Order: sequence, then C-alpha cells, then structure tokens
Amino acid sequence: MAIEGIFTAIIEFCQGLLAGTPSWLQTLGLGVLYLVGVLAFVFLNVLYLIYLERKLSAYVQERIGPNRFGPHGLLQSIADAVKILGKEDITPRGADKWVYIIAPIVIFIPATMLYAVIPFGKDLIAADLNIGVFYFLAVASTTTIAILMGGWSSNNKYSLLGAMRAVAQIISYEIPLAFSIVGVVMLAGSLQTSQIVAAQEGTWNIVLQPLAFIIFFIAANAEINRGPFDLVEGEQEIVAGPYVDYTAMRFGMFYLSEYANLLSMSALAVTLFLGGWHGPWLPSWLWFFIKLYIMIYIFMWVRWTFPRIRIDHLMGFNWKVLLPLSLANILVTGVGIKIYQLITIGRW
Amino acid sequence: MAEVKGELQTQEFELNMGPQHPSTHGVYRARLTLDGEKVVKVENIIGYLHRGIEKLAEDRTYTQFIPYTDRLDYLSGMLNNLGYVQTVEKALGIEVPERAEYLRVIMAELSRMASHMVAIASFVLDVSGWTAWFPPFRERERILDLFEMTCGSRMTVSYMRIGGVAADIPPEFLPALKSLLDDLPQFIEQMHALISGNEIFIGRCKGVGKLDIETALAYGVTGPNLRASGLPFDLRKAQPYGCYDRFEFDIPVLTNGDSYDRYLIRLLEIEQSARIIRQAMESLPDGEIMAKVPRVIKLPPGDYYHQIEASKGILGFYLVSDGGTKPYRLHIHSPSFVNLGAIPKLTEGSLIQDFVVTFASIDIVLGDVDR
Amino acid sequence: MFGRGLIKGLRTTWHLGLGKAITEQYPERRPKLPPAFHGSLSLDPQKCNACGLCARACPNNVIIVDSERGEDKKRYLSAYTVKLGQCLFCGLCVESCPRGALHWLPDFELACYRFKDTEHVLYKRNPEGEVSKGA
Repeated sequence: MAIEGIFTAIIEFCQGLLAGTPSWLQTLGLGVLYLVGVLAFVFLNVLYLIYLERKLSAYVQERIGPNRFGPHGLLQSIADAVKILGKEDITPRGADKWVYIIAPIVIFIPATMLYAVIPFGKDLIAADLNIGVFYFLAVASTTTIAILMGGWSSNNKYSLLGAMRAVAQIISYEIPLAFSIVGVVMLAGSLQTSQIVAAQEGTWNIVLQPLAFIIFFIAANAEINRGPFDLVEGEQEIVAGPYVDYTAMRFGMFYLSEYANLLSMSALAVTLFLGGWHGPWLPSWLWFFIKLYIMIYIFMWVRWTFPRIRIDHLMGFNWKVLLPLSLANILVTGVGIKIYQLITIGRW
Repeated sequence: MAEVKGELQTQEFELNMGPQHPSTHGVYRARLTLDGEKVVKVENIIGYLHRGIEKLAEDRTYTQFIPYTDRLDYLSGMLNNLGYVQTVEKALGIEVPERAEYLRVIMAELSRMASHMVAIASFVLDVSGWTAWFPPFRERERILDLFEMTCGSRMTVSYMRIGGVAADIPPEFLPALKSLLDDLPQFIEQMHALISGNEIFIGRCKGVGKLDIETALAYGVTGPNLRASGLPFDLRKAQPYGCYDRFEFDIPVLTNGDSYDRYLIRLLEIEQSARIIRQAMESLPDGEIMAKVPRVIKLPPGDYYHQIEASKGILGFYLVSDGGTKPYRLHIHSPSFVNLGAIPKLTEGSLIQDFVVTFASIDIVLGDVDR
Repeated sequence: MFGRGLIKGLRTTWHLGLGKAITEQYPERRPKLPPAFHGSLSLDPQKCNACGLCARACPNNVIIVDSERGEDKKRYLSAYTVKLGQCLFCGLCVESCPRGALHWLPDFELACYRFKDTEHVLYKRNPEGEVSKGA
C-alpha cells in the first residue's frame, strides 16, 4: 500500500541523497532525520494534547472549551505558546540560579529521548535497541531528578514539598510499573520493543495480561503525575508544586514535558499491551496513532473524573496492593507460559 | 558510609497558606507549622476582608443597612437579610403579612440551597474533583436566576425589607421554581454517582477532621457542622422564627462528624429545604407583601437580639438603640467566624492535604468571618 | 467498594461528556435579563420634582440631586448625578421615589477605564433652560 510506506519512503529517499557520502555522514544524517521526525511528532502532538485536554475537560464539565482562536479554537495552543514565550522570565532572588535554569532543560531531554524506542509503525523506529523497554524505564525515571532540581532550587516551601512528593511517588510507582511490564517481556521473550510488537500479531497482550495492563495504567498515571495521582502539582494544597516559581518558557518546558510524558507513556502502553501498530486494513502508523489517542483519552477521562488521592493512601496502595499484585501476575504468567509449553510442545 | 546514630532529625518549618492560595476560599491565611507533610500547628490569621460593616451600621438608618447584610455571607444574602430585618421587626413589634412571610421562607431556603451547593462544590474542588464542581454550580445558577427575576440581583439581593419584602414574585417565578425542584433529585443522584461513592473521595474525607459533639459545643460550632457531629440542633425547629413552625421538615443528622459527613449533610439539607419550599409554594397566600411601617424607623432605646439558622450556623444580630434613627451599636454573631475557631483543633496532627479538606468541609465565607 | 464507585464516576463523566454544553457564549449571545434586573439607573426628568428622597434613601450617598427654584418658587431639577462607582445596586432609591421617576435599566456593561467615568450624569439642564438628557 502506498500510504503504508510513506514514512519509510521518506527515510529511503534521504538515504538515497546521502548515498555517495562517507558512512559517518550517512549515520549522522539519518540520526538528524530521526531527531527532527521525533521532535516534530512530539511538539505537534503535545500542542494538540493540551487543546484536547481542554476540550475534553470542557465537554465533561458541560462547557465548550477553547473556541475563540481558529475554527473551534484549534489554534488556541499556538496562541498560548506564543504568549508564554513572551512572558517575563523571573528567577526568584533566593533561587539556586544554575540548577533553577537547568531544571526545565533537564526535564525535557528524557521526555524526547523516550521516543527513540517506540515503534510508530512497521519498520518505523528510530533506534531498535535490544533493551528497548529497559531503556525506556531507565530514561523515564530521570524525570524525577529534574523535578527535584526545580523544586529544590526554587527555594520555595511549596515547591520543596512538591519535589519531595515527586521523588517519593515516582520512585515507588516505578517498581510496579516495571513489574507489570515483566509479564509482557516474558511472553515476548525479548526486551526489544519491535519484538514485543511482533509477538502480539495474533492476540494483544491486553487479553493475555489484563491485570498487568491495569497495574501498568495505574502506575503510569502516577509516574507521569496525572489524574488522581497529581500530588506533585497538587494545586489545592501546594499550589503548583515544583513549578510554582517558574515563569515564561521555563514553565512552558515543564508543561510541555508533562504532556510529552503522557504521550510517551501512552505510546508505551500501546506498544506493550495494545498490539502496537498491528491492525487490519489501515496503514500501520495510523493504527498506532488511533490506539495512542484512545489510550490518551482514557488517561484524560480518568483525570477529569477522579479526585486526588492522599499521600499516605498513595504509598499504601503502591506497596500493599500494586506491588503484590504485580508480583503475583509475574508468577501466574510464568506458570501459564510453562503450562502452555507443556500442552503445545509436550515437555517442560 | 557514615553511620547514622539514633533517629534521623527532622526540622519543622512554617508555611504561609494564604491569603493568596487556591484553597483558602478567599483571603483566609493559615500559618502552618509543618513537619514534612504533617501539620504540627495551625494558626488562623483573619482580617484581610475586614470592611467594618458593624461600624458602617452606626452611620446608616435601619433600612439603609439592609444592603450591607448581603455582603456578610455573600453566598446566602437572603438569610442575612432575613436575620437583620427580623431583628428590627422584633424590636418594633411589626406583624409581617402572610404572603411576605411565605416569600421570605421560599427565598431563605433557596438561599440556603445555593449556599450549600457552593459549599459542596468548593469542597469537592479542594479534593480535586474538578468535574464534580460543575453540577452544584449549574443548579445554583438556576436559583440565582430566580433571585434575579424577583429582586434584580443575583447575590447581593437586598430583598427583605423591614415589614415585608421588596418585590412580589413575577408570574414566571413559580413554574421555574417548580422545574428546579423537580430536577433536584437528579442533581443529587449525579453527585452521588460522580463523587460520593468514589473510593478515592471516601478515602480522602472519611475520618478526616473528626469533630465530636463536646468539642463542637465547646467551640460554639453550629449549623450543618454541628449536625454532622450528631446533635440535631436547628433553630428552625428549636426556636421557630417567621412561619417555619408551619412547615414539616426533618433535621438531617449524621453521627461521625468527619469531613465526609459534613459534605453529605449538606446534600441532605438541600433535600429538606426543597421540601419546605414545596410546602410554602403550595400554600402561598395572596395579599400584601409589606406591612404598615413608619417612614422613619426609630427603635425604642434598649438592646435587641435575634438569631436565625443561616446556611452555615447561627447568625445573630445584636442591636443597641439609643432611640435615634440609626443603631447605636450593631454586633453580628457570624457562624463562619465561630466555626473557623475549631479549625486548629481539627487539623493539628493531620496531613497538609487533610488540612485543606477539613478547612473546606467546615465551609466558611471570609466576608462573614471578617465582616 | 473495590472500584465500583470509580466506575460509576467514569460512567457519569462519560454521559456528561456526551451531553450539551450549558454555558452561555456571552459576547455573542446576550443574556436574557428579567425586567427587574438592577443594571444601571435611569431618570425620567419630567416626573422628577427634585425632592431628594432618593438621595436620602441611599445608604452610600451615591445620588446627588441639584435643584434650583424657578420664578414661581417651585423647585426644578437642574442636575442629577449618580456616582455608580459607590453604588450598591440595592434599589432603595427606586423604591423611595414617590413619583416613579427613577427606574432600572437592564444595561449592565458599566465597566470603564477611568474612575471619573463611573459618575453618570443622568440629567443636566443646560443654561438655555432646555431640557436635555445628559451623557
């Protein structure tokens, strides 16, 4: 199909352009191409995710949402981005200046790095690492450092509280998140994202691992500080948490990275549980995109329905419920795989 | 690695919550002493909305003060109006016409409903239930529309007059009121589905900010907060004023006295208010809406006190007259101010998130606290 | 328990999301205000005899009534000013008027840039003696 191969054709075309050049230039050129592709994907999606979030919340709340700039307010996010760029950049007097300045940059780098291992479609993956899932989790967890940097360096009590919450929350929820993925990895027998997608050609992992999906969803929600787990921001208690002193584009970076994380988590959920780009009739990247937005919709739906959880419940839920459940899931998966092998192959 | 001997030391720090803070409901300020997330000490700091209303009263005639009562607890203007005009009527011994009494009851109960809706909405919002904020405000909007068509204003109504009410209801009032009351069960159902049964919400509020009857009485807490603790005390029953003794209604009582009960009791009271309004609507008599009142109102020298059950508790007006056209002194016993006093007791030792929840569940209005 | 309330909540928001918006798109769609609405004051100068009862009824001394005596010793209204910046919109002035000269208009967009613009001159007699409605 012509549409199916549209992105691979672009890559091949660029490879053709670089054909006669030395090999290091070819690698570099291709790397730049992937980077530009990923960045364009992230920025465009994030801008419209903000719009989508506002619209969805408006519909849920019997409102209309942004409808002033552009048809149905479609250009609203762009106007907001321009506005936020034009705002005054304030560094509080007591702030630890360099840490304060670096934090928004630090948070944005892992947010974009995550997309390297996401298979957006058939053969559409920037870096098909053989430890893709591990890479994803490792890079995603560095977000904590940036939030702590921002919260600490602002020299504000609210932001410090928020940063402390972020560290406690993200580090604890990483454990069930990783353990819920283990089941999927066991089924596929690989940490490579493309392998995991390939293993789901017949049945999606959500069918084989429903419990793991639910654990993953909850832990991911906590990991990206959304929905009932937005304690880090905790508007009603600690105003905006680590971001309380940030203004202008620095705040914008935090904001964008929050949505970039939402996007990457949804992409990971699609890759691991919803069969990645697999699907009939439509081109693979379109399938991926549709599933991605269904996932994002669920994240948003949950966020605009549930109140915020309390910090001790958050911790208790993680250690007392999610962790044992995810461990049990691994056990059941292991036994299940063995029984399956016993039936099909006839030996252990 | 260095060995840590004994327990790790933590340091308490002070956090200023407010006057500009998303969940201090106006310009309330709390100086919290925190140990990490734990609230060690709470100090109420009020006065950011002080307008000197009691002093203003000394320079206004008795009628002229009515608009200022709207601005006490600006979420239930009608109830404040009612409390004040009944104080003056009590002092003068004025008989209010039947129709005016019934209209007053309808308006006061509508106002109570509106006030409770805001209380519920802002409480839910402080637990971060963004969507559940909207149904109460949607219904309240219809109540405010009713006020608007009757007396021209939505919140600062100035509807009651000494001896009656300012205006009769327009013909479209009763049908609109009826449809509002008919939709109420749906709204309450929606609230239950959306938030009351939500496990996270229950986890946030159940057992948080527990107030037992003894403490409540010691602090003088009244209104729904007291009834949520288990004491069925309501001035509408205990000391009926106006024509409340003619209506049949229950006083909802819950026993736990935690934030969840304080939320739930407001939903129950909305139902009871609707019941009163239905009865008043059906038996609304015809006739005058204003009694014969002297043009210049002069109270005989002496002091007068009258209290009513406002949406947040007992609202009392203490008037001292020297026989002139203006009050010599007016003191307002405002429920929000009294209820606020219990906040440190309720929240010390809890988490900062619990502080926000408890504070919201007590439901204060800073206009009423600072006056 | 065990997530039943959570699912119920999700179902409610789903239905709410499919419902119609109830908000009003203000500048395009004007609110339908009832005739009793306290927007801004207007004066019928023909009916007013400058008795000043409205000024005395006002709790905040918002109304200034200027009058002069004509040759027949009758009082005439010469200017009627309302300092809307201090107005409480309580309506005591309208109620106090014995001749029904003062009434409310549902015109509520009273925001202005300068404080002195909050002073509305409802009536001013110009020197020629002609009756005109001021700005």
